[in-house]
Formats: sequence, structure tokens, C-alpha cells
Amino acid sequence: MNAPLSPLVQRSHPGRWLVPSLALLVAILVIVSISSGYAAFDVPAAAADWLAGRNTLQALVFWELRLPRALLGALVGFSLGLTGAVMQGYLRNPLADPGILGISSAAALGAVIVFYSGMAGALSLALPLGGIAGAAGAALAINLLAMRGTGTLGLILAGVGLSSLAGALTALALNFAPNPYAALEIVFWLMGSLTDRSMDHVWLCLPLMVIGWLMMLSTSRALDALSLGEDTAASLGFDLVSVRLRIVTGAALTVGSGVAVSGAIGFVGLVVPHLVRPLVGARPSASLLPSGFAGAALVLIADIAVRLLPARPELKLGVVTALVGAPFLIGLLFHHRGRG
Amino acid sequence: MRSLTLLATLLAACLAARSVAAGELALPVHPARVVSMNLCADELVLRLADRDQITGVTWLARDPRGSSVFAEAVDVPRTRGLSEEVLALHPDLVIAGAFTTRSAVGMLTRIGMPVLELGVPGDFDGVRAQIRKVAQALGHPDRGEALVADLDRGLAEATVAPRLLRALVMRPNGFTVAPGSLGDAVIRAAGLVNVAAEIGRDRLGQVPLEAAAFAEADLIVLDDASTETPSLADALLHHPVLERLRQEGRTVSIPNRLWNCPGPQVAEVVKRLAEAARARTAGYPLPKTGEHFLPAGTLQ
Repeated sequence: MNAPLSPLVQRSHPGRWLVPSLALLVAILVIVSISSGYAAFDVPAAAADWLAGRNTLQALVFWELRLPRALLGALVGFSLGLTGAVMQGYLRNPLADPGILGISSAAALGAVIVFYSGMAGALSLALPLGGIAGAAGAALAINLLAMRGTGTLGLILAGVGLSSLAGALTALALNFAPNPYAALEIVFWLMGSLTDRSMDHVWLCLPLMVIGWLMMLSTSRALDALSLGEDTAASLGFDLVSVRLRIVTGAALTVGSGVAVSGAIGFVGLVVPHLVRPLVGARPSASLLPSGFAGAALVLIADIAVRLLPARPELKLGVVTALVGAPFLIGLLFHHRGRG
Repeated sequence: MRSLTLLATLLAACLAARSVAAGELALPVHPARVVSMNLCADELVLRLADRDQITGVTWLARDPRGSSVFAEAVDVPRTRGLSEEVLALHPDLVIAGAFTTRSAVGMLTRIGMPVLELGVPGDFDGVRAQIRKVAQALGHPDRGEALVADLDRGLAEATVAPRLLRALVMRPNGFTVAPGSLGDAVIRAAGLVNVAAEIGRDRLGQVPLEAAAFAEADLIVLDDASTETPSLADALLHHPVLERLRQEGRTVSIPNRLWNCPGPQVAEVVKRLAEAARARTAGYPLPKTGEHFLPAGTLQ
């Protein structure tokens, strides 16, 4: 069940240009995302208006609709990709992903309780905090199971159980919500969407996400050591308690705040590290940043696709990512069984 | 053997029910136990019937957000429009909507309950006809005429703006008012042009927020509620883009309960829209898209 060790000693740098080129791809996709929408307007002129501080209508739409949508796609995608890579490295489990392990659905539950009870109206920071609390609970539970030595498929099954439970509790919370529209909004929370978000949402989740990213990136060397086993990692001088704490907190911060503003977008964290690994080798640390950027690219592509597809009302992002991700997951499961 | 007998009895019962449905049932002349199964039916029943005629209304009738008669509905038994609940009230007249609680209405019709179904009127004549129809069924045609007179008086009181302004309605989730609906008739009666007819609505009548922003509407009519009980659907109407238009006085808020249902209250909507249009033509120059429409730095 461990990743093959041979690439550990290869030490070559096939991914020297990978991170810059992925970053460039994300930048291009952000621009494409800003340029696609439902109303035709001169985007460069709008951006110029905004930069010059002119309060025109097109500058307003650029700044409050197009830009936040593109930025959130990149931020949420980066978070999901990075968290998936960290989880797969830390749990030494090729199927680990915040969606499959139930962290995203638990985050949605936390955000739903905070949002529909009206707490987020009183204090806007309550919304990401609710998501983070839910995500932290799920991440802790998964971590405890992993520490008890639960195997690859055992963890995934526990995650499936946790996802269903959190999804059911979300539906329950929405049905108890006093607003008549609430019960219909479960699709947003379980499938995710970036429609009509605003810059407020970016400011709400950006700082928390960045802290989470830094926490998770700080464990990259420990993840490499952990691929040799926990005892070896401990003997190499890594404080495993601190590593666990940083991973759980980092995952909760990034996934929790992301889900609170965009809903739970599935499969990104599962697919992306597997796409990246052939390019960077099996060393967990090498896949972290590329997975983040590839995750950002995947979510941006999905979000551009839902606007270009003729389906109205717009498809939820989770539909597109699941179309790619679910067959991938089934393939991985068969592959995994084949290897025993 | 016993199960066979049971089966035969059931079959007989079904056949009997079918034969009842085959004959058209006459509505009672002066019903004593009226149950309403639709919010818009609730509103008319609560306005037109004697209190002791009303045996049940829907749970929505008490919701001040959507109901224009929430105060009158407080002490009336409520149902959720389920056939069991309605039957337990032993009604002699059931009033239902043509598009809501279909399976319950089908069941009630099959077992021979007198059911009056109300459509969704698309203009003021339809509203007048529906008021008269319900008043007639309740045995109070005179009250129906009085309610129609209320509506007409309200409509006559509205003074339209000197200029034809462009209006776009934004409801929760970005739904708008489609041409040919009562909401469209209300907008036209207020001397406004419904922009929804010309911008790309999808088949559900949803308008993307950016399309709304660029629709060059002089007036955006927001069907918004208080933010105490939040939802994503309502949060859309508080998006920064609409908040900015609101700060410039380019929006007008109309409570949902005033135009949720056909009734005399829609005249109030016409009056408020016409008033907003007059204020808009008098107080503010009308900016065009692309021009500066606000001095820099006035916003947070």
C-alpha cells in the first residue's frame, strides 16, 4: 500500500519547469474565466476603468462579479489540489481526497448551520469559521482512524459514511431553516458553484486559506520521511504530533473556508495528485505545489465549462468534476484491488 | 379466502370511486366548511368568506413574507395541503390551485369532494374574474364586487411617470417577471417597460446578475426580504452589484406578499412602482452604461 520507493532515490528534477508552467496556465485560465460570462462587455476597458478608479458599471461588474469568480476558482482549486496531495502523502493512501474522506461535506454542514441560523449575517467571518469547524471535526476523525491503523479501503469507507452522515445532517439543517428557499439550496452545498460570488467572499476565505496552505506546505519534508513509515520518520527527527496537527489544521482551514464560499466541489483533490505524479515522481513533497496549481486549473476549467455549456440553469461545478473524477476513482479502486 | 374477499371489496371500492368521479359534482351554494389548499386561494378565502365558513388554510397563509393576509390567518386551522389533513376537516368545498398539490387534489376529486381549481391570471381582467369566481363559490358575490372595486380604485389612484422608464424585476435566485404574466401587467400599468422581454432569459425566467447590471434598466425592482432568515436565493439580491445600484436610488423594493398572488393588493404594487418611477424621473438624471454614474470614492 505504500508508494513505490524507487523514485525517492531518483532525485532528478523533471518538474523544474512544471510549477512555473502550471502557474502560467492558471494565470491564463483566470483571464479566460474573467472574459467569459453572460453579458458582453469590454473586459480590458473595464479593467482599465477599475485600475484608474473610475466607478463605471463595467468596472463594477469586473470587480464584483468576474474577478471574484475567477479568483475563487483558482483559490478553491488550489486548496483542494494541495489538500488532496498532502492527504495522499500523509495517509499513504492513493484514494485520499477531502471530498471522499468526508471533510468537504462536514465543512458544508458547518457552513450551512452558521449561514441559515443567521449567525453569518451578524458576523461575516462566522461563515468560514463554521466551515472550518466542520472540516476540522472530520479531519480529526479521519486522523484518529488512521492512527489506529485503519487500512486504505477502511479509511475510504469511513469517509463515505462520514460524507453521507454530513450530507443527511445538512439536508436536515436546511429543512429546519426558516427561509422557504433554504431546502432547495442543498445542491449548492453538496455540488458547489461559483455563480454570483463577490469580492467579499474572496476576502473572507483568502487569509484563512493562505495560513492553511503554509501549514500544509511546511510538512513537505516530513511527508517524504513518512513515506518510509512512521517509525522511520520519527527516528529521522520529525515530531509526528506537530506534523499531524499542522496537516489537520491546514486541511480544515483551506477546505473549510473554501467550502463555506463555494460549496463542496468533489474529486479535485483525488484526481490532481495522480495526474501530477508521473511528472514529478512519487516523492510526496514534489507533488504538493504542482497539485495545488493543477487543482486551480481544473476548477477554473470546470467553471468556464459550466458557463459555456448550453445547460441553463448553470450546472453545478461538482457535476463537471464528478464527470471527470468518478470514473477516475472507480479505475483507481480496480487498480488498487488488482495490486492487493 | 379472506384475502380474496378483501381484494374484491377493494376492487369494488375503487370502481365505486371511479363512478363518482365520472359524474360532475355541483358546488354547494353556500358552503359551510371551506378548506383552501393554495396560498392564493387562502388569500381570497380569507378576504371574502365569513370567518366561520373557513375550516382550513395552508401553513403559508400565516407567513408575513409571502402572505398579504397573514394577520387574518392567525387563528385559522392550517394544513400542508395533504389529502388526509383536508379530509379530516370534512370540507364541503375545497379550493385549490391549478398547479399545486396535484396528487392531493386528484385524490379528493376521485372520492367525490367538490373542488374548485384556480388558475394563474395573466392580467387584471383575469384577477377580477378570479375574485368574482371565488366570491360566487363562497356565496358572497357582493363582497367579490366590492373587492374588484377596491382593486380598480387602487389602480386608478396610481399616477404614472411622465416618461416611459425601463424596469427589470429581480426576485430571489435571479428570477424575473416574464412577459404575459400578471407581474408584467403590473409593470405596464405603472407606466414602465419590462426589460425582461428583451434580455436573454433562460427557459425558467432566471436573469444572470451581470445581464441584469447591463440591462440599462432605469429601475431595478427587487423582491427582497429581510436578512434575518438568510438564504442564498435572497443573498443574491444583496450582492454588491445590486447594493451599489440601490445606493444610487436605481432600485425599488416591493415586498413579496404584495404581488405573490392575484388580489386587490397588486394595485398597491402599481402605486409604489409608479411612485418610484416619478421619483426617478424627477430627482435623478438617468445615466447610460459606460458613463460615470457616481463620483469616485463615494462608496466604501
